[in-house]
Amino acid sequence: MKILKSYAGLLVFLLLLIAFFSFKSQHFFSSGTLVSLLNQIPALMVIAVGMTFVLIIAGIDLSVGSVLALASSVIGVAMLDWGWGLLTAVALALLVGAICGALNGVITVKWAIPSFIVTLGMLEIARGGAYLVTGSSTKYIGAAVEGVATPIGGLGLSPAFIIAVLVVIVGQLVLSKTIWGRYALAIGASESVVVYSGINPRSVKVGVFALSGLLSGLGALFYASRLGSADPNAGIGLELQAIAAVVIGGTSLMGGRGSVVRSFIGVLIIAILETGLAQIGASEPTKRLITGFVIVIAVIADVYRVRLAGKSKN
Amino acid sequence: MKEILKLLSKTKSSGDLTRRIGLCVILSFAVACGPADKNGKGEATDQQQGEGAKPEVALIMKSLANEFFSSMAKGAEKHQQEFPDQYDLLVNGIKNETDLGQQVALIEQMVAKKVAAIVIAPADSKAVVPALKRAKKEGVVVINIDNQLDAEVLQQAGISIPFVGPDNRKGARKVGEALAAVLKKGDEVAIIEGVQTAFNAKQRKLGFEDAMKAAGMKIVSSQSAQWEMEKANRIASAMISENVNLKALLCANDSMALGAVAAVKGAGKMGDILVVGFDNISAIQAMIKDGRVLATADQHGGQLAVYGIEEALGRLAAGNKGEANRETPVDLITADSLK
Repeated sequence: MKILKSYAGLLVFLLLLIAFFSFKSQHFFSSGTLVSLLNQIPALMVIAVGMTFVLIIAGIDLSVGSVLALASSVIGVAMLDWGWGLLTAVALALLVGAICGALNGVITVKWAIPSFIVTLGMLEIARGGAYLVTGSSTKYIGAAVEGVATPIGGLGLSPAFIIAVLVVIVGQLVLSKTIWGRYALAIGASESVVVYSGINPRSVKVGVFALSGLLSGLGALFYASRLGSADPNAGIGLELQAIAAVVIGGTSLMGGRGSVVRSFIGVLIIAILETGLAQIGASEPTKRLITGFVIVIAVIADVYRVRLAGKSKN
Repeated sequence: MKEILKLLSKTKSSGDLTRRIGLCVILSFAVACGPADKNGKGEATDQQQGEGAKPEVALIMKSLANEFFSSMAKGAEKHQQEFPDQYDLLVNGIKNETDLGQQVALIEQMVAKKVAAIVIAPADSKAVVPALKRAKKEGVVVINIDNQLDAEVLQQAGISIPFVGPDNRKGARKVGEALAAVLKKGDEVAIIEGVQTAFNAKQRKLGFEDAMKAAGMKIVSSQSAQWEMEKANRIASAMISENVNLKALLCANDSMALGAVAAVKGAGKMGDILVVGFDNISAIQAMIKDGRVLATADQHGGQLAVYGIEEALGRLAAGNKGEANRETPVDLITADSLK
């Protein structure tokens, strides 16, 4: 009951959106739309998981879209130019992602620089790296990489989506059931209290950024797989989509509070908006106006949810 | 300083990053050592524009991270290496396609540098006009390539700038006609547009519409995917879900066509929905060969900047007379033409 309550507001919002688009469009409420929508979001899902942890420790990671592009470029170059197999290429991409993330974390911690500016730097560096390794051109990989995003017969869902759901579940368990997750929440709530308690927050912080990078690398696999290509221009603006999804899900930008599952609902809200608006054939300005309003309204609604929760505690 | 800049711009760019990092490092170094660097300054002065000296042509592009523009820049660099005695070349790009402020700043820097000619692929067909007007006032020969400047704004500004480039509308019409030839009258089609404020995006959309209307097709949806592959994938998926009888997707560039092909595959409609693109990038060719993409248009991107440079050099030699536009070829590419 308690769990249901904490998700109720978001779920009602989600259902309202679905109802609206089902009413406005002929084919929105169909299994075809649902399946294509779910198979589009795995990359955003796993990146939102990483971003949830980053926001919880009161950080921010602006580099996720560029790191995704770099990692997907690495997959393309490894498979096409070096003749690597998919598995080794993906392993390298995950490693590249994790290294970018770890660098973000180490620099943020070592010199006590706001992660905003460190990851802004990484946004440029990783994007430059993506252009560098691909020679600025899209690499078409084809069938060798497409399997991960190809729907499994009968089920309709892709392995990518299933992996992403597992990442969400594991992410939520790590956050709420492990000491590491508790430390992350405590660091976000008050880092000095954590330090006075004799716990070193540094390794947790570096770990969180490395996780965000690693998941961007995983997102790169999903992305390259869905499009059959490595695109150095991939993921431009993805960081803002991820932050919007996470914040819609009620994770605080100030840290100390958040939920991975709620971020997933945030991702669904963003994806449904995008698909729904495209299906009703909304004009470009309308799309942007509505998306913007929905983000702001969802966050305002969350403020009331938190206030109500606070009152009932007293 | 000038030499460093020139060196940088000539460096075979393997990416924006090298250039940006290089620029930062070297420029900050040069600034730091500036006062002591008397030799460097002396040489730079010797190379200033003088009577009988080689003219300097500045090529101002959109994003060099885009394959289309990077191949254009490479074509221009190759041309300069073939004719090193005729002119010096400076290539500059902006960070992303819509970064207008940076492009205007580049125009101003090039004018301050006293280049003889500017060949520009405008990021916006209207907003760069005032900066180009100032350039012309300073006696710089200005040639417009790729994205044609808005005729009305040019008229209001009281200047004329020759356009050297392909007719995108005609090219898109050719692609649309190739598609119409394999469809039946009354079939449902949808258009995936580029950035709606861009002139060439508008022209390509019009060209597609021309061909579809002439052949009696029904356009059920037309939406922008901002030239981007992933965005096109989502828009195309939504179009396919919504319009169950859709027979074709007309994409205003090849990146978006790649995204559309993935959407068609994801919906299990391979072979039922045809896809066409525009630009003939390398990644699309395998798809044209095996039929996943029916047709695209090649406007010889690698040569576009060269056409502009040739026009600029011609005008520098002849005293910048005549303001006529010059149309460059656009070819239809299908599985047959790639054989």
